Amino acid sequence: MNWFPIFYRELLLFRRRLLRLGYVVSALFSPMLYLLAFGLGLGKRVAMSGGTYLDYLLPGLIAMTSMTNSYTWIATSMTVGRLHFRTFQVYIQAPVTAADIVVGQILAGMVRGLFASGILLGLGLFLSTGLHLNLMFFLVLVLNCLVFAAFGVIVGMKSRSHEDTATFTNFFIMPMAFFCGTFFPVDEMPWLLRDIIKALPLTHTNRLLRFPFWNLESLESLALLSAYGVVCLALGIIIIRRYSE
Amino acid sequence: MHAMIVTDNLGKQYQDLVALDGLSLQIPPGEIFGLLGPNGAGKTTCIKILTTLARPSRGTARIHDFDVVRQPLAVKKLIGVCPQEINLDRELTAYENLWIYGRLHRMPDLAARIAELLTFGNLEERAHSLVREFSGGMQRRLLILRALVSRPRVLFLDEPTVGLDPQVRRQLWNLIQELKLSGITIILTTHYIEEAEMLCDRVGILNRGRLIALDTPAALVAKVGGYVVETLNSGRRQYLLVRDKEEAYARAQTEPTGVIIRQVNLEDVFIQLTGERLTN
Ligand SMILES: Nc1ncnc2c1ncn2[C@@H]1O[C@H](COP(=O)(O)OP(=O)(O)OP(=O)(O)O)[C@@H](O)[C@H]1O
Ligand SMILES: [Mg+2]
Repeated sequence: MNWFPIFYRELLLFRRRLLRLGYVVSALFSPMLYLLAFGLGLGKRVAMSGGTYLDYLLPGLIAMTSMTNSYTWIATSMTVGRLHFRTFQVYIQAPVTAADIVVGQILAGMVRGLFASGILLGLGLFLSTGLHLNLMFFLVLVLNCLVFAAFGVIVGMKSRSHEDTATFTNFFIMPMAFFCGTFFPVDEMPWLLRDIIKALPLTHTNRLLRFPFWNLESLESLALLSAYGVVCLALGIIIIRRYSE
Repeated sequence: MHAMIVTDNLGKQYQDLVALDGLSLQIPPGEIFGLLGPNGAGKTTCIKILTTLARPSRGTARIHDFDVVRQPLAVKKLIGVCPQEINLDRELTAYENLWIYGRLHRMPDLAARIAELLTFGNLEERAHSLVREFSGGMQRRLLILRALVSRPRVLFLDEPTVGLDPQVRRQLWNLIQELKLSGITIILTTHYIEEAEMLCDRVGILNRGRLIALDTPAALVAKVGGYVVETLNSGRRQYLLVRDKEEAYARAQTEPTGVIIRQVNLEDVFIQLTGERLTN
């Protein structure tokens, strides 16, 4: 395995952008907006599953943030590297395997997702007492980052333009952010929609982050999330192995 | 001797455009091979296939007996590529660019190798500046240095001298000749024909994806032979190919303005074969 240089390159790029302050602000802008608008607005007035709305919302926002940040970074970086700066050619012409490329990229996306959700988590500790921070919580957070970074690899390899990436985001990522139980429980949804929603990964991340305890349902969710991760990872490897200009 | 690069009926098609059309080549180790041809002839396509970046539509290519499609990893270990388009990481420093590349190739003693290359390329003072801040020529230099980090056995240089100042271009020529002494095989494309004439052991001329000539520069020139009479007619330069000196003098006498008489060079051959300027 020789994924380290690929991972490290993304980290160097990430660090450089991190130093520009506007970047951190933009990465956390939408979760903060939701937190302020819904969490503080409805927070004390609406009660939900035994706590305040803020207690309900916070794990959802953490899941959402880890999803969008892991995904966006990798999808954008790979699309641009492939189509615009052509830096992706260097990976293909170097003696590394498709798996090296995928693993390096996914790990980098995960760092990015964990970074953003970590900041939100730290902030949440001041606002809410409803978080259950145990081993499973962090395991699920890491797994969620993996799933969406891997999805980012697929989008990054398949986009034919920058607009394509935006289309993928609008069709897959945005609906998940709104329907998969980030802001309100999935059970309120009409039945067909509910079944679709229950097949989507973020639904299970939300469920697990809200209730990170071992039982049959959590095992089911963990298995499904892992399956998503494995499938996306394998697809990414296949796509890169077949890459040809 | 066994050939370092062998292609057999190599072809590449993009939708209904044939970019490379049945290229069969054998390049012995240690040769500097020039790939010439007008814009869109298929030079870059050929290099992309040989460096595992593009899959051929038909035919085969082998480097050091490894098939580029079936044993890509073995091929990638042998090659260094300086692409036509500058694909450095603009947001990373020169040093970081070389370091990442070296790690991708698992180079031992990487720091020493990078220092050596940066000194050679006269970039050591800018080692820790972002590539984004480099001039075009500096970026091109770094791109060439990057291809050398892994001490490749086969080096692909796709128009490496574009945008280099005359001094640096000369340095690069010297480098290419030095590399040849160390036994590495070089595939070079260029639009500066005199560069190919000077550097290359053999040149292949591509036109619309087809190989239309393949020989040493001297042999190609000899095949066309003779002299060229260059005249300037109301601001337009005209070239006339003639058999020998006497015919050239006779032609020159009839010209009202200044004339240049010279021997045929590789550029004349190129232009005659690719059919643009010369008429016999
Ligand atoms: N990815 C691609 N999709 C479609 N057509 C392509 C692609 N890459 C190259 N071509 C076409 O293949 C032909 C050969 O292109 P190539 O880049 O190999 O030419 P070249 O000899 O390197 O030219 P130049 O001197 O301009 O660099 C051109 O007609 C080009 O338009
Ligand atoms: Mg080209």
